[in-house]
Amino acid sequence: MMLSKLLGSEWMKIKRKGLWFLTLLGPLGVIGLTMVNYGVRKDYLLAQSEDDWAYYLDNVAALTPMALVLGIVILTSLLASIEAQTNAWKMWLALPVRRGSVYLSKYLIAAVLLLVSSCILAVGTAVYGMTLGLGDDIPWLSILEYSFYPWVASQALIALHLWCALTSSNQGFTVSLGIVGVIAVIIPVYLPDWVIWKWPSLVSELDNPWSSGVIGVGAGLLLFMAGMLHFSRKDVG
Amino acid sequence: MSIIVQTEQLTKTFQKQYAVDHIDMTIREGEIYGFLGPNGAGKTTTIRMLLGLMKPSSGRIKVLGKRLNTHKLEILRQVGSLVENPSYYPHLTAYENLNVIRQIVGVPPVRVTEVLELVRLTEAAHRKVKGFSLGMKQRLGIAAALLHQPKLLILDEPTNGLDPSGIIEIRELIKSLPQKYGMTVLISSHLLSEIDQIATSVGVVSHGKLIYQDSITNMRKLANSSIHIQCNDPEQAAVALHRLELAVELGANKLVLHQCSDRAVADAVKLLVHQGMDIYRVEEHKQSLERIFLDMTGGVSL
Repeated sequence: MMLSKLLGSEWMKIKRKGLWFLTLLGPLGVIGLTMVNYGVRKDYLLAQSEDDWAYYLDNVAALTPMALVLGIVILTSLLASIEAQTNAWKMWLALPVRRGSVYLSKYLIAAVLLLVSSCILAVGTAVYGMTLGLGDDIPWLSILEYSFYPWVASQALIALHLWCALTSSNQGFTVSLGIVGVIAVIIPVYLPDWVIWKWPSLVSELDNPWSSGVIGVGAGLLLFMAGMLHFSRKDVG
Repeated sequence: MSIIVQTEQLTKTFQKQYAVDHIDMTIREGEIYGFLGPNGAGKTTTIRMLLGLMKPSSGRIKVLGKRLNTHKLEILRQVGSLVENPSYYPHLTAYENLNVIRQIVGVPPVRVTEVLELVRLTEAAHRKVKGFSLGMKQRLGIAAALLHQPKLLILDEPTNGLDPSGIIEIRELIKSLPQKYGMTVLISSHLLSEIDQIATSVGVVSHGKLIYQDSITNMRKLANSSIHIQCNDPEQAAVALHRLELAVELGANKLVLHQCSDRAVADAVKLLVHQGMDIYRVEEHKQSLERIFLDMTGGVSL
């Protein structure tokens, strides 16, 4: 009840803040880069593998985690900036709202926007793949997995970056954490499995995309609870 | 009259420094309570605790008869606030800003139009707040605080940054709230003149302590007056005036009479003239409220 009111307000607040633009830009950027890749050297790429669809999906998947992490870092920091800008927390939290619900509403906005990005990515991947003529046997299930597993595995990252953005008064720390994330996500194979920024790439020793998803959601829940408690108890200065 | 706000030994420390030091504040229904103190005295910290934005280090808060830490949402539903510099969403219009809050407090959309009218922002309603002057932002903040017709309105330095006509306008608006809507108002300021013109009760805070709390009429009584008489022989005059049983004090070349009625002054002057003394000046010196609070707050100007 209260959450739906809060969500209604949050959707109104993100107007003109560029969040929807970023939501579109992420997946379109990934598809765009893939288009450049295939546009320049399609024959070479098709010669690399027997299974053209699988090879194509791997190429898309190489870009997805990077776009996702960038998206998480920027979206969470924009969501926090809506209040931080004029210190509107002292107004917003003096309204009859539970702080936990406020925190959840911010999380849901970030998660839903990124889910929309994932949907656009799925459609874009399928449509461009079909125009490339990679074969009639379209691997629908794989397309969905490649588009949505990274989102599932990213829940922990959303929770972590949101926690940082909403509670840290030091923007330098928030930005630094974001930079660490973006660098880490470029080199997932060199990182141990426990590194949170590795999870969206679905690369793990277990070699099973589900494991990244499960660990992402599990750790996400813990990080969300910790961040929410911190946010609820914090003095608003 | 029922008590709207009651704090008991309310205390907040930051790194062992007392920002708010055992404050017992009482605000009664229908009052405009002026919360007065120099910058950094602990006004805003107290207000933040009243709104549940900060947790007290110790002490208790009751608002509208309920404990704040157990009935926070219930209380906040009946409280409107404007804390320090105005908070707003600069990328949204004035109307959208209020609409975002309206969703939470659950009042009909027509209230947005009403409060915009009340603070005279109707014409600017559909402009982005980014381009507003400080005074307009402040008025928007007051509109937001009034949106759900709260029983208790908490305004922290509401006239900051307003031009003189804006100050008068807001002052009249605040003054009308208790009678019109039955609101109780807590208004903080570092300006004595501001509180003097608007409040019905006063609390003075200095270095985190509430050093004075009473009605404004009682506060005005603190402003004692004295009569200064200059004449050719003050010493002899003092001896003569002792016969009238007046509290006379011998100053540098003058006599100072404390707390005397018009009658007593007339008698004193008549006596001195009859004694053949030359009287140069008879002046009334009124100790200003400003001076009194200066003494109270240890020299920090209000």
